[in-house]
Amino acid sequence: MGEAVLLASGEAIAARRRFRVLRKLLHHRSFMIGFIVVAVMVVAALAAPLTGIDPDGMRFRARFRPPQGAFLFGTDQFGRDLLTRTLYGAQLSLWIGLSVAVLSGVFGAAIGVLSAQYRQLDSPLMRVMDALMAAPAILLAIGLGAALGPQTHSVIIALAVAYIPRTARIVRSSALVTRELEFIEAAQVSGASSVRIMFRHLLPNAAGPLLVQSTFVFAYAILAEAALSFLGIGPPPPAPSWGNIIAEGRSYAVQAWWIMLFPGFAISLAALGMNLLGDGLRDVLDPRLKVES
Amino acid sequence: MYRGILMRLSQAVPVLLIFAVMVFMLMHLLPGDPALAIAGPEASAEAVEVIREQLGLNRPILVQLLEWFSHLAVGNFGESLMLKQSVVSAVVERLPVTLSLSLVSLVITLPAGILLGVVAAYWRSSWIDASVMVVALLGVSLPGFWVGLLSVLFFSVHLGWFPPSGYAPLDETGLVAWLASLIQPAVVLALFQIGFLARITRSAMLDVLDQDFIRTARAKGVDEWTTLAKHAFRNTLIPVVTVLGITLSLLIGGSVVIEQVFALPGIGRLIVQGIMNRDYPLVQGTMLLFGFAFVVINILVDIIYTLVDPRVRYG
Amino acid sequence: MAGWLERAGLTVALAAMLAQPALGAAGGKAGDPARGGAITYAAAGGPGALDPHVAGSLVALEVIHHVFETLVAMDESYNARPMLAATVQVGDAARRFRFTLRPGLRFSTGATLTSADVLASFERYARVSTNVALLEDVVGYDVPDARTFVVRLASSNAMFLDMLKSPTYPLAIVPADQQERPGREVDVVGTGPFMLESWDKDSHLVLRRNPDYVADRSAAGPDGLAGRKTAYLDTVRYDFVAEPAARLAALQGGTADAVANLPPDFASRLGGRDDLATLRVFPYCQLLFVTHAGNGLTAQRLIRQAIQAAVNVDDIIAASGQPARRNASLVYPGSPYHTGDGAEAFYDRRNLDEARALLRQAGYKGEKLILQTNATYSYMRDAILVLAGQLREAGMNTEVQVVDWLTNLTSLRRGTGNWNVTSAGFCTQPLMGPQQWRAQIYADPHIRDLAGLDDAYRRLLASPEFAPRQAAWRRIETLVLGEAYFIKVADLGAVRAYNTRLHGMAPYFFQRFWNTWVN
Repeated sequence: MGEAVLLASGEAIAARRRFRVLRKLLHHRSFMIGFIVVAVMVVAALAAPLTGIDPDGMRFRARFRPPQGAFLFGTDQFGRDLLTRTLYGAQLSLWIGLSVAVLSGVFGAAIGVLSAQYRQLDSPLMRVMDALMAAPAILLAIGLGAALGPQTHSVIIALAVAYIPRTARIVRSSALVTRELEFIEAAQVSGASSVRIMFRHLLPNAAGPLLVQSTFVFAYAILAEAALSFLGIGPPPPAPSWGNIIAEGRSYAVQAWWIMLFPGFAISLAALGMNLLGDGLRDVLDPRLKVES
Repeated sequence: MYRGILMRLSQAVPVLLIFAVMVFMLMHLLPGDPALAIAGPEASAEAVEVIREQLGLNRPILVQLLEWFSHLAVGNFGESLMLKQSVVSAVVERLPVTLSLSLVSLVITLPAGILLGVVAAYWRSSWIDASVMVVALLGVSLPGFWVGLLSVLFFSVHLGWFPPSGYAPLDETGLVAWLASLIQPAVVLALFQIGFLARITRSAMLDVLDQDFIRTARAKGVDEWTTLAKHAFRNTLIPVVTVLGITLSLLIGGSVVIEQVFALPGIGRLIVQGIMNRDYPLVQGTMLLFGFAFVVINILVDIIYTLVDPRVRYG
Repeated sequence: MAGWLERAGLTVALAAMLAQPALGAAGGKAGDPARGGAITYAAAGGPGALDPHVAGSLVALEVIHHVFETLVAMDESYNARPMLAATVQVGDAARRFRFTLRPGLRFSTGATLTSADVLASFERYARVSTNVALLEDVVGYDVPDARTFVVRLASSNAMFLDMLKSPTYPLAIVPADQQERPGREVDVVGTGPFMLESWDKDSHLVLRRNPDYVADRSAAGPDGLAGRKTAYLDTVRYDFVAEPAARLAALQGGTADAVANLPPDFASRLGGRDDLATLRVFPYCQLLFVTHAGNGLTAQRLIRQAIQAAVNVDDIIAASGQPARRNASLVYPGSPYHTGDGAEAFYDRRNLDEARALLRQAGYKGEKLILQTNATYSYMRDAILVLAGQLREAGMNTEVQVVDWLTNLTSLRRGTGNWNVTSAGFCTQPLMGPQQWRAQIYADPHIRDLAGLDDAYRRLLASPEFAPRQAAWRRIETLVLGEAYFIKVADLGAVRAYNTRLHGMAPYFFQRFWNTWVN
């Protein structure tokens, strides 16, 4: 009975808090700019089919058209329309970014919470995380991507694994702080199970830092996918990921500079949007850092 | 404090062990045969088999792992399959390139990043702050390899100002050639770090500006900038140490792609080529050396924290 | 016709291939060649080792052919011509080869080259070389005197000298004291016009003129890798520059005097500069599609032929961005083995209706066809992407796999991995002639059991007359192309560029710096 009352009031507090956070975010300049940038990208990605052009359709009579007239972004060495490919590329690159953010978020959160809750798991899990972090993320992704084979999901898994340790560390340290709080002890005394403690207390309290970190991972993943494609370990062509378009246009950089140019802008814009979004979230959700006055 | 360091070092042993096994397994999981890379695309199947036998690649994987560990135990990091050179000497040969690159990019990063951060904090919430932060954010949002490619096209191919690639050793070609060969890749690397440093410096400075002595200084009308500079210096030490630590751990990470774009014969390129050629001992040995360096650097950074910030205790 | 081949007991039709005259040094308008000068060459990469007996990579071979020499080498038209040998006598129905060395040959150390060095080199080759198959038929060697070396074979091999000229894994003559050295650990000491001065792995190496070089005075001038070679330059520095854009800029900025293969896109930028010139090398490589007859769909002949029927060569050439020529055959036009019309039936079919009909006949139900390629060689990737489009148009369900170069190579050579078609570039095999395709064809595990192939290759190697050998090659080509194991796309060229202060630059498969000079 006592616990139920506690929970009900807890939920009411949480609801009020969520509302306050939302209002702060709506008034936060960089969050809103980032939100708009990302929203525009998502809309552009969804609108890709509206160009009515097959992104992989080759027209050999229209090779290397510079950006003008019918071809706003120009065409590549196969005569493929680069505007269409860049738009479809948004679908693929944003999908990769989102999947990596979600996967590394879920697994990072699970590992972080588990090692905070079960002390005997802490040391082995963290040593494995340390080992994963001893290799630069991009090298780990190169190795994993090559080992898993040339599929989009290999790229996603490789990048997710590379970013899990950082997320796990962040969640773990937040969960460790929460565990020290008195209401956890109270919950334990009142016989709440470990699973309940993890899901009811540790995880919700780590949600803020987790969300902020995942937003940044989203941005990193978009950049890293492009770098992997540049090194030849990206999603398989003809899939028009932004990294692939740059990699394929590289041999024609002098003669047809536009092939490389637009997807590069798209990558920068998407990463910028996610970073702005992340900055805003951090200002509002993470009290350890200064908020803009 | 010494006990703390010892404890950290002892924790590092299992980490490196796990790391070594991971790198080994990952390398051997890669499809593709190093014997083919050595023999060349036109070698006969029998010849490739001979090389596999010579290199001991036909033995069970566990035997190969144990052999590698037994060599490591006596300090033998192995010999590269492709380069026919000991892993340590291959790394030592390429270290100056990567170190030079990191050094030049750090020399660009530190003043630029700190200045931007201080300026943004001082005029916070103004258009100056906003534009500085956009610049800083751009730094961490631009794909380095793309900026590098565009830079080569514009500054090297189009204008012909800088050599497009390659490394000019300081002791052989002199300062100007050395700097010219590094300036483009260093700036590209610095873009990211400047963005990073400017953001950290800004939030550290915001703390200071809220404090009483600044307000007092302002009220008194004493030279505000002198006070600011003094405190700015103290308070940027921590972000600088952080960035130093990150830069050092980026020794390989950040330069992997950039060394590829600018054909710099450094560590990053060595490892990527090693992966592409399935040069197992080379990649394993180099990664392990750098895993070790990474662990040591992290411990050093933590020690420096305790020195520059008395609030931090070594645990 | 070169007089080096003494017809002792047997007429070797190989001589027919020697008909083309040696090309002199082309290029430079400026005066007589003069000694001296140093140049820098931006190569596409650096060698891992400089051991000729195991060297298969082009960047290594480019250096090796300046430092080492073989008994018999490729001439300007890529046929066999003696280099260290003055004459070769072929006897005992092409089972006995007697090499007489040129007098006064010396290594760059100053030591005299004798038949003992030749013997030691052959024995080392048989022990360490990647190309041991070359000597597997040898029953013994004789060394009657310091200038004579005899190779005895177990069975007739009319193409032995053509195999011996191999520029990859060259059977270079190294000093006898190197005999016991393991592969890739030989001292870089040869008889070539240049010698190794310094080598900074991964960065650059420097070749210096060999003052002890003994040129072949029987020839009028340089001839391919053989002939009368003269080193004019004091030093040639090879900078290893993997990025083509970087090579181009090095040439434009004056830090390189010559640069290795450039994408045509980049070479097009040189037009405005009259101090820079391009060197077009043709033929350079052949672009093929190889089908995996041991895996899934492409195990069916009809499916393979459907793929062949859908290929439109011109579009693939256009997208590859390479200088390319149409050629149906696996050997180059100009070779006596060239079978243009014979191979034409399997080339550039662009017949989508037939492809669809073949698919129906094969009972194809839209199963996935996997096309593998690599990102290292963008022309291969681009060719596969165009092929994927053509196959889709013919009603096939395709998936493209881009893997790294070594995975792709392993797939091709071992038949590993799940793929149906891959792109492949062959460079030295077609240059050297039909015998060289054998290892390639047999290396593909799924082709090995083709009925009639063994027999045709036996006839190719054993027939003393040219006509039956030519017929045997036609048979081989018809089998391999007709079964659509190989689908020929095009012959590719290469574009290099140089500063016109460098004279005597002539197009050749390997970039040569003998008989080139600066003012």
